[in-house]
Amino acid sequence: MTPSSLLADLIDLSEALDTDHGVDLENRKRRDRNIGRELQHWRNRPVSQIRAWLHELTPSSARKNGLQGVHLYHVLCVVLLAAGLLTGWGLASAVLFYDGKQPINIVNAVVVLVLPQILLLLVWLLAAIPGRLSLFRHLGSTLGFLNPGRLAGHLAGIFTAKENQCLAMLWHPDNGAVLAPAARWLFSFWSQLFAFSFNIGILTSAFFLVSFSDLAFVWSTTLTISNEIFHQLLTTLSAPWAVLVPDAVPSAELVAQSRYYRLDEGSLADTETTPQLAIALGQWWPFLITAVSCYGLLPRLLTLGISWYRFHHHLRKALCNLPGAPELLARMNSPLVSTLAEEPEHAFTIATDRATGKPDATHYAVRCPVIDWSGACDATDDMAAPLAALGIEALKFLRAGGRQTTEQDLELIASLCQGRPEGVCILAKAWEPPMLDLLDFVRGIRQQCGRKKPLIVLLRGGPEGVTAADRETWQLTLGQLGDPDLHVESVSHAT
Amino acid sequence: MTAPVFAIVGHPNKGKSSIVSTLSEDESVAISAVPGTTIDNRRYPMAVDGEVLYELIDTPGFQRARAALEWMHSHAGSAVDRADTVRRFVDEHKDDSRFAAECHLLTPILEGAGILYVVDGSRPFGEDYEAEMEILRWTGQPSLALINMIGDSDYSADWNKALGQYFRIVRIFDAMEADFDRRVQLLLAFGEIREEWREALEKAVRFLREELARRRTLAAHVIAEMLARMITHQRRRRLATGDVMDEIRDTLLNAYKQDIVAMEQRCREEVEQGYNHGHLERHEQRVQLLDDDLFSRETWVLFGLTRRQLIATGALGGAAAGSVIDLAVHGTSLLMGSGLGAVAGGVSAWLTSDRIANIKVLGHPLGGQEVSIGPMRNINFPYVVLGRALLHQHLVEERTHAHRDPLDIDTPGGAWQLTDTATRRRFEKLFSRLRKQETYRTDLVTTLATLIENQIRNRTDDA
Repeated sequence: MTPSSLLADLIDLSEALDTDHGVDLENRKRRDRNIGRELQHWRNRPVSQIRAWLHELTPSSARKNGLQGVHLYHVLCVVLLAAGLLTGWGLASAVLFYDGKQPINIVNAVVVLVLPQILLLLVWLLAAIPGRLSLFRHLGSTLGFLNPGRLAGHLAGIFTAKENQCLAMLWHPDNGAVLAPAARWLFSFWSQLFAFSFNIGILTSAFFLVSFSDLAFVWSTTLTISNEIFHQLLTTLSAPWAVLVPDAVPSAELVAQSRYYRLDEGSLADTETTPQLAIALGQWWPFLITAVSCYGLLPRLLTLGISWYRFHHHLRKALCNLPGAPELLARMNSPLVSTLAEEPEHAFTIATDRATGKPDATHYAVRCPVIDWSGACDATDDMAAPLAALGIEALKFLRAGGRQTTEQDLELIASLCQGRPEGVCILAKAWEPPMLDLLDFVRGIRQQCGRKKPLIVLLRGGPEGVTAADRETWQLTLGQLGDPDLHVESVSHAT
Repeated sequence: MTAPVFAIVGHPNKGKSSIVSTLSEDESVAISAVPGTTIDNRRYPMAVDGEVLYELIDTPGFQRARAALEWMHSHAGSAVDRADTVRRFVDEHKDDSRFAAECHLLTPILEGAGILYVVDGSRPFGEDYEAEMEILRWTGQPSLALINMIGDSDYSADWNKALGQYFRIVRIFDAMEADFDRRVQLLLAFGEIREEWREALEKAVRFLREELARRRTLAAHVIAEMLARMITHQRRRRLATGDVMDEIRDTLLNAYKQDIVAMEQRCREEVEQGYNHGHLERHEQRVQLLDDDLFSRETWVLFGLTRRQLIATGALGGAAAGSVIDLAVHGTSLLMGSGLGAVAGGVSAWLTSDRIANIKVLGHPLGGQEVSIGPMRNINFPYVVLGRALLHQHLVEERTHAHRDPLDIDTPGGAWQLTDTATRRRFEKLFSRLRKQETYRTDLVTTLATLIENQIRNRTDDA
C-alpha cells in the first residue's frame, strides 16, 4: 500500500462521500451493510474496509481526481528531486572549485556543506515535534516559508481549479481539522526529498571532481589553534564513522602536513616535503564525503523515511476521519435494523371536488322521520331545538345501525318510504367516520323513497361539539354518493 | 421459529396508521382524516440484517362489520366452529367488493397474526364497535387492545370496561407523543399475548436500543463535523484589476453566510435521516453570524507567501547565490557576495513581486491581493450552533413518525444550555484548537463528537 495509492483513494473518497450524501440514507444503509458483510474479515481494519468500499462503489475509470492528484504529487516529487540535485551539484562545484592556484580550505567545505545541514536538521526536529508547546508551533509556522515542500504545494494549488477535489484539498483550510497533519507531513516529505537529493548532488559533484580532477585540500586559520586541537576536533567530528571507515578519519600527520599559510603567495607548513604532500593532501576527500554522507545524506534519508511514514500514517488516519467516513464504517459494521415497509402504500385518494356543499338554506321546512344511527342520540328530547332551528319537524324517532341488524334496517327503510315522507333526517355521531355500512343505508333510503327529497345527515358532536375536521370528513365521504339533495348539518351549526 | 406477526385492526380513523407509523418509524404511512384511506394491507417487517424478528400489518378499517357478523352467525354451528366460520367468510367473500375491507383485515389474523385492536380513547365508546370486537373474538387469535388517545377528552375508563370483555390485555398508548421507552414497552407487551413470541420481541427491543445508541453517535459525529467545518471555514477571492474592495468583501461575506447556512442544513438533514425522518419539513430561523465585520482580511499572496515572507525568501535566495561567489573566491570577498545577494534578492522580490504576481500561467495569476473571510473567531458562535443542533437532535429523536406537521425548532426555552463549567472548558479547548488550526491532531472531530454524544446521553438520562 503506497502513499500514492492511499492519496488517490483519499481524494476520491472525499468526493465519493460528498456525492453519496445525496443518496437516501435507507438505501445507503442497505448497500453499505451488504458491502460490510462481504468485508467482515476486515472488521478491525477500517482503512482496508473503506478502500474496498470505494473500489466497490466507483470503478477505476470514474476515479479521475485521485489519479490527477497522484500525478501532480509525482510531478512535484520529480521537480524537487531535480531541484535538489542541481542545487547540491552547483554548491559543491563552487565549494570544491580548485584551479591549481589556491587549494581548497577543508574548513570552508565543512562549514558550507556540513554545518548548515546540521542546523537545518535541528530546525526540522523542532518542526517535527508535535506542536503542543506553542513556541515550537509558532516557530514552525514562522519558518514555514523556508520549506520547499510547502512552496511546491502552494505553487500546485495555484493551478488547481477545484481545490477541494484534488491534491490541494490536503491543505485546504476547510479540511484542516482532518487533513492538516497529513499535509504537514507531505510538506515535510517533499522538503526532505529536496534535501536528500541536494546531498546526492553534493556527493555526485564531489565524486566527479575527485575522479576527473586533482583536488588539493588544506586547512587554514588565523586563530592560534594548534594542529593537535584541530585534529582533536576532526576526530570528534569523525567519531560516528571512525570504526566503520577508519580511512576517512584524518590522521594527525595529515593535519600537520596540510596546514596552509597564505603568506608569500601561499605556503605549506612543511616545504621540504611538498611534492609528496601534494598527493597526500588530496586524501582529505574521504573525510569530506563521509562527513557529508554522515551529517547530510544519512540523516536526510532518515527524515525522509520518517516523513514518508508519518505522511502514510496520517493519510490512513485521514481516510477514516474524513467527513462521512466514521458514519460509513458504522453502517458497514453495524447490523442493519430495518422497520420500514417494504412496499409503497396503495392509499385511496378521495375526490375532494365531490364533497357535499354547504347548505344554501339552513331552514328546510320539512316534516320527516328522524333516524338515530347507531345510538347517536341518548335522549330524543334534546334534539327538538336543533331540529327546529333547521326547520325540521320530527314526525317520529327511529333507530338503525349499531345493535340493529341489517335486516331490521331494510325493514325500517321499507316502512319509512311507504309513508312518502317529505324528507329524511339521519342523526349521526360526528366523531365516528361515515362507514360503508351507513352509506348502504343512505343509498337504500334514496332508492326506495325516491330522489329530489332532502336527505339531511345531522351530526351530533361530543363534548367538543362538531369539529371542522369531523364535518369535512363527513362532507367528503358522503359527497362520493353524488347526491345533490344529500345535506350534512351539524347540531352546533344548526343551533 | 416463525417471527410474530401483528395485525393492527379497528374502526376506520382511530389511529391504526398512526400507531403503525410510530412503531415502524415509517413516515410514508398515509394518515388521513378521511375513512378508508388504507385500502390494502401493508406489511412493516422489523428485520436485523434480513432476519425478520416481528412484523406489523396495517389493515383497512372495518366497514360492514354488522353484515359480516350476521353472515357468520347464520353460518356458524357451535362455538367450536367460529374460527372456521370466519375463515369460510373470508374464502367466500374474497372477491366480493362489499367485504373487501373485512377480508383484507381478517386474512393475516387467520394466518396466525396476533390482533392489535385500536380505538380512540378520547371519543366515547359506541355500540357499533361491538360487532367488530365480536368478529375478532371469533377468530380465536391472541389479542391486545390499544386505547389511542387522539384528542384531549378522556373516555379511557369506559373503553377499558368495554374492551376488557373482549381482550385480555388493554393498554393506553399515545401514538403521537410516545417516546422510545414507551414504544419499547408496548412491543414488550405484545409478547405478553403469546409466550413464544416474547423471545423474538425481546431480541428486537435489544437491537432497537442498540440502534438508538448508534443514531446518537451518528448525530454527535455529524454535529461535530459541522462545527469543525464551520469554525475552520474560509472563503478567499483573488482581486482582479478594477475590483471594488467593498463590493468584493460584501459578496464574499454573503457567500460565507450561505456556506454556514448550507452546512447547518446539511447537518440537519443527516440527523433527520438517521432517525428515519427523511422528509421532515422544518420551521427554523437561519443561523446568524454574530460579528459580520470581525473576520474579513485582506492580504497579498504569491505562492502562498505573504509579501514579507516573499522578501525574506528572496533575501535568503540572494544570499545563497552570493555565497557561491564568496566560496569561489575562497572568502576573500568577506561575505560581500552573500550580503549583496541578500539585499539584491530582497529588494528585487519587493520591487517585482506585483509584476510576478500578475503573470498568468495557464490562465491563473501567480498571486496578488486576496480577500479572505474566516475562519470564525467569535468564541460564542460554536456554542450557538451547538445549542441549535442539540435542540434539533432532541426534537427529532422525540418526534414520532405519526406527526405530519412541520417541526418547529425555534421553541422558546428549548435551547440547549451548557451549565457544567468543566464540560464548557473542554468544549472551549477543542473549539480553540480548531480555531488555531492545530496541525498535529487528527482526532479533534472524534473528541468533539464524543463530548457531544455525552451531552445527548446526559440530557436523555436527566429527562
